Amino acid sequence: MITQNNFWQHNKAVFIFALVALTMPLWFPLMGGYSGLDTKIMIFCIFVVGFDILLGFTGYLSFGHAAFFGISAYVTGIMLKSFSDNIIPAIIVAVAAATLVALIIGLLTLKRTGIYFSILTLAFAEMFDSMAMSMLQRWTGGENGLTGMPTPMLFDLKMQGDTVFYFCAICAIILFYLAKRIERSPVGLMMKAIKCNQTRLEYTGINARKYKLLAFVLSAMYAAIAGALMVVYEPFVGHEFLGWHQSGEVVIMSVIGGVGTLVGPMLGAAFMLYFENVMSVDLGEQWLLVLGVIFMAVVIFMPGGFMEAIARLKKRFFTTIDGE
Amino acid sequence: MAILDIHQVSLSFGGLQALQNVHLKIEKGSTHALIGPNGAGKSTLLNVLTGMLKPDDGSVMFDGKPLLNVNSYDINQLGIAKVFQTPAIFPEMTVLQNVTIPVFAARDGSFNFNMFEGRAKQRPLIEFAEQQICELGLEDHMHDLAGSLSRGDKRRLEMAICLANKPRLLLLDEPTAGMARHETEKTIELLKSMDDGITKVIVEHDMNVVFSLAEKISVLSQGQIIAEGSPNEIKGHPKVIEAYLGEAQV
Repeated sequence: MITQNNFWQHNKAVFIFALVALTMPLWFPLMGGYSGLDTKIMIFCIFVVGFDILLGFTGYLSFGHAAFFGISAYVTGIMLKSFSDNIIPAIIVAVAAATLVALIIGLLTLKRTGIYFSILTLAFAEMFDSMAMSMLQRWTGGENGLTGMPTPMLFDLKMQGDTVFYFCAICAIILFYLAKRIERSPVGLMMKAIKCNQTRLEYTGINARKYKLLAFVLSAMYAAIAGALMVVYEPFVGHEFLGWHQSGEVVIMSVIGGVGTLVGPMLGAAFMLYFENVMSVDLGEQWLLVLGVIFMAVVIFMPGGFMEAIARLKKRFFTTIDGE
Repeated sequence: MAILDIHQVSLSFGGLQALQNVHLKIEKGSTHALIGPNGAGKSTLLNVLTGMLKPDDGSVMFDGKPLLNVNSYDINQLGIAKVFQTPAIFPEMTVLQNVTIPVFAARDGSFNFNMFEGRAKQRPLIEFAEQQICELGLEDHMHDLAGSLSRGDKRRLEMAICLANKPRLLLLDEPTAGMARHETEKTIELLKSMDDGITKVIVEHDMNVVFSLAEKISVLSQGQIIAEGSPNEIKGHPKVIEAYLGEAQV
């Protein structure tokens, strides 16, 4: 009995997320979300949960995670086009390629901390961006982007409409569950200790560099899965997938949602994509201005993001009850 | 038998000779104090022992194994723990999490790829961490954030972190610096009550602490060991008085 209760306790957030995600096609259109936007939200949930393993746990702010997202998207596109229209081998090869790149970039960039680390990751991502636009043009399609992919297949199943959504949602649920497992493991503890006091950690017998590299590669793998799913969702890869704008968007999603909470960044991703696509219909270009104001307000008044707001509301709600 | 053998260690920062041919043997199970005026090289010597600084010359052997060119975490895994001058803890974590880290470090070594193992399921390890916390009198703060503790409690927590992976040699860099009298007394009691199997090296300015704990004292001045002996021998040693007070006026 106790173990069952523990299982429920540990995975409450996963169950709630699964419930919200799987019922999304039912209620999302009522809020004005167009079909397909829900899929994009699921994909970015994967991206930001992975990003939180790096930023939220170890405190290392990468400005170059679009590189892994983009590399994986290009490789998936090329695989679908020239190897097989089955998405499974395409995703596996794409994630493997991005992981390898992440391992190399991680080894080089994690020698530095703070702003230097951020700048180095940004530089690497920009390097891949310009490579996609120049020497790799033959494969990436350069300015025009990579197009002409066949309809992706999951073995005999055509990946279209709701099938894509459910495939992405299930991936997001599994990957969120795994991230939660990592958080509860000794590895998660060591990663969070890096953020607190790296010197003490090293003097406590822990090789912090290996844990940082693991966090970096894991988060890159999440980004790569998101990138691959992006191609399954929409058969197009543009160089903006690799750009700093994409990296920055993930940072903003994480910060407004609540860094280090895993759930928060997903709320941030959903919020950003929903408002970007639904509100911008009314606001047009002004949307970015509104986003800027929201971002500043969160950073100044609510550094813990949406999750802090929720915690405060909970506290207020429960204290009033106690008071009565 | 010497657990730590420092042999002819020299280190200079630019033109400053921080350590000069330092010879030091620390007996197993003893409490050895390093004293000396400011800038004598005491902290530098500790930093050499923990792998933070690489000496220009000389060798350091710990229990028969060389310590030079070994990473800090590997040195800790060999059994050397350091208590910092300002308590080094994990402030944003709970007291229990703070002590759980060295417990897992003792079990898993410097790195382990066990990403999906539940920490809470390792009951014996968590219980051991709890026991360490109780032994240092922090049981009331088990689930408090470490950063919210008082300075004395932070120091105790740091000791708990250091002791949780069962070190054989404990290096203490001014463990009572900035403490009130009664906190200092408590720290002395704590160090005295510690397991005799643990060798302790204490760098300290407070002579009360030094003389109530140390079995042997080495005096450093300008990067050199100028005297060594029992507390009584050191008290009246002319070279020591000279180093601390300047040359005697006749």
